[in-house]
Formats: sequence, C-alpha cells, structure tokens
Amino acid sequence: MTNGGHASEELLAGYVAGTVEVADAWSVEAHLGGCAPCRSALSAQVDASRLARNRSAMLVRVALPGDRRVRRLLGRCGIPDYLLDLLAATPSLRVSWLLSVVSVLAVVTGEAAAVRYGWLHGRGLPWNPAALVPLLLVGPLLVLAGVAAAFLPTVDPASRLAVAAPFSGVRLLLVRTVAALTAALVPVVGAAFVVRGPGWQPAALLLPSLALCAFALAAATLVDGRAAAVSAGALWALPALLLAANHVPLAMVQPNAQLACAAVLIASAVVLYLRRDRFEWGWTR
Amino acid sequence: MDKMTMNVSTTAVHIDGLSRRYGATRALDAVDLALDRGITGLLGPNGAGKTTLLSILATVNEPDAGRVSVLGLDPKDAAERLEIRRRLGYLPQELGYHRHFTVAAFLDYVAILKEITDRRRRAGEIARVLAAIGLEDRARTRIRALSGGMRQRLGIAQALLGQPELLILDEPTAGLDPVQRLRFRELLSDLPGDPVIVLSTHQADDIAAICPTVVVLLQGRVQFAGTPSELAATASGHVWAANERGPGAHLSWRSSDGRWRHVGGQPPAGADVVPPTVEDSYLLLSHAAGA
Amino acid sequence: MRPAATEADDAALLRAVARGDETALAALYDRHAGWLTVRMTRRCALPDLVDHAVQDTFLALWREAGAYRGGGDVAAYIWGIGVRRLIDVIRREKRASRRWPAAEPQVVTSAEDQVLVGIEHGRLGQALADLSPELRGAIEATVLDGLTCAEAAVLLGVAEGTVKSRCHRARVALRAALADQAWGTS
Repeated sequence: MTNGGHASEELLAGYVAGTVEVADAWSVEAHLGGCAPCRSALSAQVDASRLARNRSAMLVRVALPGDRRVRRLLGRCGIPDYLLDLLAATPSLRVSWLLSVVSVLAVVTGEAAAVRYGWLHGRGLPWNPAALVPLLLVGPLLVLAGVAAAFLPTVDPASRLAVAAPFSGVRLLLVRTVAALTAALVPVVGAAFVVRGPGWQPAALLLPSLALCAFALAAATLVDGRAAAVSAGALWALPALLLAANHVPLAMVQPNAQLACAAVLIASAVVLYLRRDRFEWGWTR
Repeated sequence: MDKMTMNVSTTAVHIDGLSRRYGATRALDAVDLALDRGITGLLGPNGAGKTTLLSILATVNEPDAGRVSVLGLDPKDAAERLEIRRRLGYLPQELGYHRHFTVAAFLDYVAILKEITDRRRRAGEIARVLAAIGLEDRARTRIRALSGGMRQRLGIAQALLGQPELLILDEPTAGLDPVQRLRFRELLSDLPGDPVIVLSTHQADDIAAICPTVVVLLQGRVQFAGTPSELAATASGHVWAANERGPGAHLSWRSSDGRWRHVGGQPPAGADVVPPTVEDSYLLLSHAAGA
Repeated sequence: MRPAATEADDAALLRAVARGDETALAALYDRHAGWLTVRMTRRCALPDLVDHAVQDTFLALWREAGAYRGGGDVAAYIWGIGVRRLIDVIRREKRASRRWPAAEPQVVTSAEDQVLVGIEHGRLGQALADLSPELRGAIEATVLDGLTCAEAAVLLGVAEGTVKSRCHRARVALRAALADQAWGTS
C-alpha cells in the first residue's frame, strides 16, 4: 500500500466498489483492523443517509426493553416474536400483578396449610374442609381477575387504538386471555396442591376457573365488560359462600359441580364463538 | 346546509345522510360530506358531533343510518373495514396511555397492532415518527414523565406509524404551545404520499393556518363546508370595530388594539365595518345555530 | 466530520457502553458502522440484510459490551460479532423465504493469520487469483475469518460437507501453486 502506510483513496474506493484484486482487498481488510484514519476514510465513502437510518433504528432497538429469559424460552417454543412483544402490554402479566396474586394466594393457602398441617393447633387434628373455603373462594376469582384485566377496556387505556388497528381484535383477546389464564392458573393450582387433603382434588379448581373466564368473556359480548366480569365473579362467589354457610364447602369442587362448570364452559364457548365479531368493534357502542 | 360538490374521482371520503344518536341525544343528524385528499378541518364546539364523526370514519363506531365510503371502501363490510384499518392512522380524543411504558415501547406496541411484525421494520418506523415529532431523545422516557404537550405529540406520532393513507386526528393541537403548533402544521404538510387528513379543533385560528378545507359542525349538522376564506366571507358586513361596547351586537369583546369588536346583530353608533376573520364567522354561525 | 479516533478511545467507549452509556454506543457506531457495512456487503449482496446485520451488531455490542476483555483490536472484536450476526441474518432469511441471498463470488475475508498477510502479494496473490471462486471463498471463510464449517456453509450457501471438501481441494491447489511458483514452473 502506498500513502505512507495508509490505504490510498483509489484503493478504498475500489474496495468499496468491489473492483480490486482479491489480495488487495484482503490487505485492505487486514489494514483496517489497526488503522482508525483509514476506517474513517472508508466510512466517508458509504451512503450517509443509509448509515443515519440504521443508526436511529439501532438506537430505538436499544431503547426498547430487551428480551427476558421467559420470553426467549417462549420464543424458542415457536411463538412469534411480535405476539410476545404484544403481551408485554398486558397488565396481568406484569410482575407487580403476579406478585399481588401470589401474595393473596399465600395468605389464603397459608391459613389452610396451617390448619391442614397442624401448625396452629398442634398436630393430629382431623382434616377440616372449612379451612379450604378461602382458597376455594378466592382461587378461581383470582384467575377471573387476571383474565378480566386482559380484556376490559378500562384496564387497557389505549383500547380505542386497538380497535382502529388492523390487528384482529379476536386474536388480541385470545392471546391475552390465554397468557393471563396460564399466568394465573399456575400459582392457583400450585397453591391448591399445597393443601391437598382427603375429599378433594386440587386440580378440581381448574374447571371452575376456566368456566368463569369463559362466562365472563361470553357475557362481555352481550353486556358491558365490567358487568360481565362482576357477574361471573358473583356466579362463583355466591354459591361458594352459600355452601360454606351450610357447612358443605367442598361441594363446589365435587363431580356434580364439575359437570356444571363444564356445561357453563361449553355454553360460553359457543356463545363466544358465535358473537366473536363483537370484539372487532370494541366497546364504544 | 352546504354540500361540497366534488369530482367523484378525487373524493376520498364520501358521507351520505349519516346519523348517530346516543340515547336521546342526536350526535349526528343526516350529515352529508365529501372530503378530498389533503387537510380538512372540522370546526365546532364540544358536543357538536366532531368526535362521533371522526370515530365513525376511523371505523371505531357504527352509524345508525346513512352510508360512509372511506378510500372507496365500506366500513360495514368486515373485509373492507380491515382494509381501511390497514391504511388508517387515528388519534382519538384524550388518548390514554400505559403510563409505565416508555415512549419507544408504546410505539412498538401500536406498531404491532398495525401489523408491522418485523422488529427491525418497526424500529425503523419508530425512529422515523420520533424524528418527525421531535421526540428522538425521549425514546427511553416513561410516558408518565412526559409533559402534556409531549404526550400529545406522542399521540400524533403513533398515528403516523405505517405511513397511513387516512389520518384522523381528534383535537391534535390540544395542549400544544404556539411553537409546537407551527411544527405540527409543517409536519402535516410534509407527510409522504398524499394522505387524506381530517382533524378536529375548536380553535378557529388552527383552521385558518392549517386547513385548506373547513367543515363547521354545530349540533350534529354541517353548517358550512368550503375554504377558510369563504367561511370568513360569510360574516362579511356583520363585523364591526367600535370604541365602545353596544347592546345590539350578538357578540362583543375587547380586541388587542383596545377597541371593541362586534359580531352580528346591530353595531353601536360610529362603528366601522371591518374584514371578518374565520373566528368571526364561526362565532356568528354558532350564535345562529343557538349553540 | 468524524474526528480521527485512536484505539484507546475505542476501548474507553466500549467500557462506557458496558456501563450503559448510550452516547458512547452512538459514537462507536459513528466510527465503525461505515467500514462494517462495506465489509459485510462484500459477503452478502443484499443491502437489507446487511442493514439488519449492522443494527444487530451494535445491539449485541450494547448487550454484551462487558464481554470485551480488552485484548486486541476493538475493530476486530466488532467484526467478530458482526460476521456472526450476518450469518444469523442470512440463516433466518433463508429459513423464512427460501430466498438464497447469494454471497459475492469475490468473497474476501479478513486476514487473521498474520503470516499470510506478511507474504508478498505477488506469489500468494497469483495463487489465490488462480483458484476458482468457490475454493477461494471456502478457504477465506474458514481459515481467514475463523468461521466454523457450519457458519461458512451458511455464508456461502452450500452444505457443510461441501465446505470441507472445497477447503481441502483449495489447500492442495494453493500448496501446488506456491510450490510451482517457488520452482518457477507456473
């Protein structure tokens, strides 16, 4: 190379254009590694607007939150990137929300566990199903709350934007609901397993939770979103309290009740499917 | 009721007999409009039906009666509605934000809703709109830390994502100071493609400065459609300046030069007729409509 | 105008980036994105993909700036990240659209091997130029850029086995050519 140990203008220009000899190009690259002025000279030959565009786009990506481990895991399961990015806007998937769910559960199951494992009153007490009432009451309601937060427009401040956007309202709802369901069901069913006991299956909370959420969504196609969520909550809370008052709390999770929940689930799913267009219009009627 | 007669081939938005009511209130009453490419301003007080009209154009609301054609597409048909939404940029009135979001994250969210699935394309678009509204340095700022004017600009930015063919902006200048309003005007005139822009405002000077076409909406009805100078001309001969106030005028106020300005009705004695502004005509029309 | 930069500055910038300084990242971009873009373009003809790879490179720098241990060239470090980002981009593009982003036939990769750089252009240059483009590409990707056979396969658009056999044939041809030249028989 000439020019006092630096690459000449023509050489650099030829390198950029791809017209130099193989060995010369190779030498240019080797030289660039250690020579900052030549790197600057080379950069000057690149289209400035292209560099500027990439620069601002790169800085935007730097400004966006990076991928957390959970996201990367889900991403490898084949879920498309943009769906994961979308879920970031769901309040019931935020750490703060999940923490509150977990703390409520902790209180409720703590009490039941204390009775179950005899921590409070000494060992050897008979199993008292009444201790389970708080968990039975609260568990499915927590799941319902998570799902309600996923779709109620009062919780999504930019809901009108979502309506006016081409992304399918139904799809958005589905994505959020499934995510919220999973995020809520895991701790609730997990908590139920902590207080296993005779006469009830912890997994029995699964069906009521699903039924409640389906009912709320289906009702939301008919009435106001908030009313739908509240009525779904009442649908569970009232019978649970009634049965607890009559000293048969576990009736809520016995096979008969499970069948009733399954029926509600199926009926709601049908209504939801038939009226799904409602979600494309949003809540502004 | 004025109706703009336009060459159908240039008409981008066609509204026929549009009506919408909320309970007992008629928000829109048999509105006929034809809008062209370029900027159209909707002028009217709060409650005049501007927001309802804009939300119907943005496919967020359905009319009770009448036909709407947006960019040649019918919002009643699901597939065409989707196509409208693909070409739409919408700034609703009082847009709510996820306050814990950063500016960049919020724009990312909206961009995904606009079906820009590729991350890099999204980043490029976000960079572009941030530069357009002058918030490039704020990409990492949380929305709750933004001032009102910045939040408004962010709202405009999200509407610009995806280079929409139809831009619906509900009160975009609310909360902007005069310098920002000037930038906003420049921004609108520099938009790529030749989009149809419909914006609403209750400030007459915005209209005069930004919009080559004005529609005055009062109590759900179109009271005027035309250029700002035509609008101003409707008050010709009905605007006076005097040194004192008079009881006969419909509206009077003290203007910045110390004299009293009178619009409509009878002027006080010794008043001079002055050229009307857009605001004068708007006030006159409002008074006539009983608003 | 970009001011003349020194190595020490670059290392300092990288340390600043590791501390979360965005302006340092922007400064690094201003210094290095230009040559990075050109160098990548010589390996991948599609400007979109090169743009993506450049962005990804600086993004990776931002996220992993702490990994730079301070030894050697910052520029070489950046290229090491960059070429692998480019391969990632090409791989994903190939998977997504079945479109093969053809690499330039005149692929020239950097000289990691200082010995080779030191040889006069005359003999080696001639021997290289006499190689067929495919063999040249294979040698340069694997020997000079330090890519694995799998990575080189993505870059060149062939199967891994093909890369291995081409490398072998290239080495044989080079040895023969250099030997011929030494004996003055070519």
